[in-house]
Amino acid sequence: MTSIESLESRFREGGALVVSRHDFKRDGLVISAAIPDSSLTKLARGLRDDGYTLLDVSVLEAKEGFLVTYHFDDFNEPGRVALRVLAEKEDPAVPSLCSIFEGAQWHERESSDFYGVVFFGNTNPIPLILPDDFSGPPPLRKDDQDLAALSSLGLFGKPQILDPSWEALVNPPQAEDKA
Amino acid sequence: MSGLNFINPFGVREDPGSLVGDFYTDNFSKSARPDTVILNLGPQHPSTHGVLRILAELDGEYIIRAEPVLGYLHRMHEKMGEVKTPWQFIPNMGRVDYLHPIAWNWAYVGAVERLAGIEVPKRAEYLRLISCELNRIASHLMWWGAFVMDLGGVTPILYAFEEREKINDILQIVTGSRLTLSYFRFGGVSTDADDRFIKLTKDFVPYLRERLKMYKALVTDNVILRRRLEGIGPMGVDLCQRYGATGPILRAAGLASDTRKDVPYGVYKSFDFPIPSGPTNDCMGRYLVRLAEVESSLTLVEEAIRDLPDGPIKIDKAPKANYKLPAGETYFAVEGARGQVGVHLVSDGGVRPYRIKLRAPGFSNLSLFAEAAQGTLLADAIAILGSLDLVIPDGDRYGSAWGGRGTLDWPLGGASQK
Repeated sequence: MTSIESLESRFREGGALVVSRHDFKRDGLVISAAIPDSSLTKLARGLRDDGYTLLDVSVLEAKEGFLVTYHFDDFNEPGRVALRVLAEKEDPAVPSLCSIFEGAQWHERESSDFYGVVFFGNTNPIPLILPDDFSGPPPLRKDDQDLAALSSLGLFGKPQILDPSWEALVNPPQAEDKA
Repeated sequence: MSGLNFINPFGVREDPGSLVGDFYTDNFSKSARPDTVILNLGPQHPSTHGVLRILAELDGEYIIRAEPVLGYLHRMHEKMGEVKTPWQFIPNMGRVDYLHPIAWNWAYVGAVERLAGIEVPKRAEYLRLISCELNRIASHLMWWGAFVMDLGGVTPILYAFEEREKINDILQIVTGSRLTLSYFRFGGVSTDADDRFIKLTKDFVPYLRERLKMYKALVTDNVILRRRLEGIGPMGVDLCQRYGATGPILRAAGLASDTRKDVPYGVYKSFDFPIPSGPTNDCMGRYLVRLAEVESSLTLVEEAIRDLPDGPIKIDKAPKANYKLPAGETYFAVEGARGQVGVHLVSDGGVRPYRIKLRAPGFSNLSLFAEAAQGTLLADAIAILGSLDLVIPDGDRYGSAWGGRGTLDWPLGGASQK
């Protein structure tokens, strides 16, 4: 495993919006970073060069949009790492990781099927799990009244907020009032 | 003839305006060479063990390109996870990978326990380990029989089933079922082991060790089998990394990576057990790794049943039906028979989880097939496919990645071999 310190500084240099350290025993993660979509391929390539593999792509729908979470792990010295990209609510789209991890193609197609997130640059963007003639909204999307705010989901461990616009996404409003 | 729009029965588009097959065939044949044949294997082909479909572009007997088509066994477990309470969702976990359901039990229950901060009593931890390892042995035996059957040897699966029945008899005592096991509960397990469970388990270990010797003499050393497997379908660590392949595929590639050892959960830390890896990264290597893992699991079962402590099998205040998970996110992974099984769980503090993502090892393992099959003989591609140990509901997981390789598929496979 690349040391947490070096991952953290790399995420910071890579333009991370929020970097969080986690308690592995509770969160199952060592470190996570919310990043702008323009940094995604560069940071993912760095992880690949360090021996990390892409475990899965997990989409989380929230009030603010679609939080696409990429989980990485190192075969040699495990320590799970997550990169998160927030795609906007209308027409969500993020860059594809196909050119870095070939295995990303299926994960991304699956996420497209279920959430309607577009991964631009995917090498075979056809339905994977759903039938090709499926019509209707993506099946894992929630109704608007069921959506939670990102700040209420406890995603960010011990966060260091590097971009002020994420302050409201990370910290629940009540906490700010008390402060 | 000039007025007819001729369609080659093998699926080659001779007229670009014609549509052959369905959406996937059509999409696949867009980039086909004019002198090749598109072959559609499955979704009901016996060597795909269930409902996996593969499109292959063939030049003679050689595969130019192959592409798996998924979704025929998709059951939307993730959606069910969001509309059921955690307690109600446990039975689903027996149905993702029906050959190693205990691993999925563990991954989900473990994720909930991690989020809720629940500690499991010692005796329950031991029972979890014993049942998980017995189940792993059953899964590997089932794979072994079905794999050899893919290659044309019909007899071994009958032996595999005999041993598997014995394991089912043992697990039935505590779980109450034989296929879709739902044994784990939050904070423990559902049923305590009785004397019969302990005796049958203790008897089973030396029994299977003897049988493994016979398997080696009858099957592993068989020259026909070796010629079908040696040097076929090499998969290196780099390939595994690019596709996220784990489990026996990664270990055969030479990396002794195993979640039980690397990120110990349960009581695996208290046991010293070997993680077989190598010696070769071809089909034979994956075959040998799985058989070695059976022996490794036998060691674990033997030691755990010997040291089985007394005590409760569940915590007193175990979460009940209307339990509210604390808000937060967690990821919990265990080592299943096919590789790393992961559950990504997000809760907003309500009665039902906000989001559940299941990471099925068979999904990632199958995704490398297109690359691994390129340029191989069709018959070798079947060996490569078999060596991935797919269970289609696991791959489809939603069905599990090739969750496909199951008892339910077996009668079909057997009939086809006539």
